[in-house]
Amino acid sequence: MTANTARHAAAADGTRHEGREGGTSVLLQDLSRSFGTTRALDRLSLEIAPGELVALLGPSGCGKTTALRIVAGFESADTGSVLVDGKDISSVPAARRDMGMVFQSYSLFPNMSALDNVGFGLRMRKMGSADRRKKAGELLDMVGLSPQAKQFPHQLSGGQQQRVALARALAIEPRVLLLDEPLSALDAKVRLQLREQIRTLQQRLGTTTLFVTHDQEEALSMADRVGVMRNGKLEQIAAPDELYDHPATSFVAEFVGVMNRIPGELQSDRLVAVLGGLVPVQEGSDAAPGDVDVLVRPEGLRMELIQNGNGIVTNRTFLGSVTRVSVLLSGDVTVRVDKPSSEAAALPPGTSVAVSLPPEPVLVAPRRDVTP
Amino acid sequence: MAAVARGGLGEKASPQERGDPGGSPPRGQRRSYPVWRWAILLIAAVYFLIPLYSGLRFAGLKAFTNVFSQSGFISAIGLSLRLAVVTTILTLLLMVPTVVYVHLRLPQVRRIMEAITILPIVIPPIVLIIGVLKVAPGFLLSTPYLLALVYVILAMPFAYRSLDAGLRAFDLKTMVEASNSLGAGWPTTLWRVVLPNIRTAMLSATVLTVALVLGEYTMASLDLYQTFPVWIVNFEQSSGPISVAASLLALFVTWLLLMFIVVVGSRSARKRGGAELALFSVAPRQTSRTTGEPE
Repeated sequence: MTANTARHAAAADGTRHEGREGGTSVLLQDLSRSFGTTRALDRLSLEIAPGELVALLGPSGCGKTTALRIVAGFESADTGSVLVDGKDISSVPAARRDMGMVFQSYSLFPNMSALDNVGFGLRMRKMGSADRRKKAGELLDMVGLSPQAKQFPHQLSGGQQQRVALARALAIEPRVLLLDEPLSALDAKVRLQLREQIRTLQQRLGTTTLFVTHDQEEALSMADRVGVMRNGKLEQIAAPDELYDHPATSFVAEFVGVMNRIPGELQSDRLVAVLGGLVPVQEGSDAAPGDVDVLVRPEGLRMELIQNGNGIVTNRTFLGSVTRVSVLLSGDVTVRVDKPSSEAAALPPGTSVAVSLPPEPVLVAPRRDVTP
Repeated sequence: MAAVARGGLGEKASPQERGDPGGSPPRGQRRSYPVWRWAILLIAAVYFLIPLYSGLRFAGLKAFTNVFSQSGFISAIGLSLRLAVVTTILTLLLMVPTVVYVHLRLPQVRRIMEAITILPIVIPPIVLIIGVLKVAPGFLLSTPYLLALVYVILAMPFAYRSLDAGLRAFDLKTMVEASNSLGAGWPTTLWRVVLPNIRTAMLSATVLTVALVLGEYTMASLDLYQTFPVWIVNFEQSSGPISVAASLLALFVTWLLLMFIVVVGSRSARKRGGAELALFSVAPRQTSRTTGEPE
């Protein structure tokens, strides 16, 4: 069942699940949280616009899940507050926050059928049995699982369970949808399908959504904005293309996508000498004049086939329309350069090439001993 | 009775669940295993069945028909059954919230709890009785239900381990959080989500508690109440065969009762993909299929 067929199935029977009129805004203000001596959140502030899907992305232990759990009401912040539609909900218990949540681990109640799982939140809202079953059925239909309505969780695959969990979270028409790495336990194919389905439903319903993941591909492909977290702080929050093309810090640059580190020398006039040329330095670069690393993406490097160039091709990785070519430069530095696969065919290992940078601003970072 | 729930069962998956085709032993070993199994089974069977057979021969068939008309038989077995019911209810009321709370909020004290709950096995019965007498409410002191308080303590090691194994077999924290996020408060979450999913463990705890109460002699004897085991011992002095017949009958009835609970519990659990009920452990819930499934 693809996202499209689910949407068509829902549309066919007139199912209509609109988000709350005007949507819900969420504001995290200066949230801090420590566990013992570990500071999980350090004055985190984040604003989510009504109907927006914001992904929090970061390595394990960066605080993203803690932030989500504080919004859900499962944890409390040491300082700071969570505002939903301008009202501070910090002291409101989880059961009264009206937030739908999909968990990383399978969270369906094993003693209930898929239909009863989806209807659970409605039952808590005192909805009558007939209405509840009707609405739960509609939600299951929306995620393409009507035939499985009477099945118990142990009879469903992992992907189906997460789709039921999504339907269950959406059934209560939550003010905010919280997704805690809901796809990480699934295999690649199912993950891709469910990713599209979640995004389609979220956009159709207009539900304000906070999505936590460590998978950058998931974050970049699903979110309106992606916040990259590190050590309990938000390093940068921006639209996916902005984040990829203009990372604010070297951490963001290297965490999101593939990044080359090429040794260079930063001069006092904000120019950096690298690969035999001078290129301007991008705003936000956090290095002092002297030895630095220049951060460039594989598609940001030029490469020409030339005798006695500054590099030798050592490896090629076919990625479909492009091929990633590894080039060994002088100084034992290896860089990765993306070339259209049709052109990369002429670059077998051992080929001499010239690698250079276009005259566009680059990000620089303090020199690191180990090159990627 | 000393057997207890095997900890950590919930984390193990069978070879079939892991998709491990090599789950079965090599060919040579496979041939030798059944022989050993049958030998051990035979030795155990001989060990248990010979005394029963001897008792059966000693009592004779006539004793089995006479046992019901003996004075004190009905009141003794009635008292034991009433104590079994009261003890089971008290044990579950006390242990279920405690074990759930420890799992959810105080996982770091689980080891301490395990140590505490094993104490009734090592503390002498007389100490337990004196302890209970000191703290029991006054209106209970002159009734046989005082024994129920003692039995709750004695059943604690078995009940705790059954419930602990049951809670380990499913993701309690996530279930509770999911329930809360959907608007359910604590009582509703406990009633609709937690209890149905540890029903098998609760049945297991019930089975062990009932078996303990129906077979306990020392405490009742010390407290001078004529429960069924005490009646059997007392009656032995006037009629050995009838006393043995009553013992065998009690054994059979207890076995039937336990099997009934096991069968009913397992059938209900199997229907929902829950854990299988074994007397002393809770087998892990069947894992979900995550890969290679048609979506």
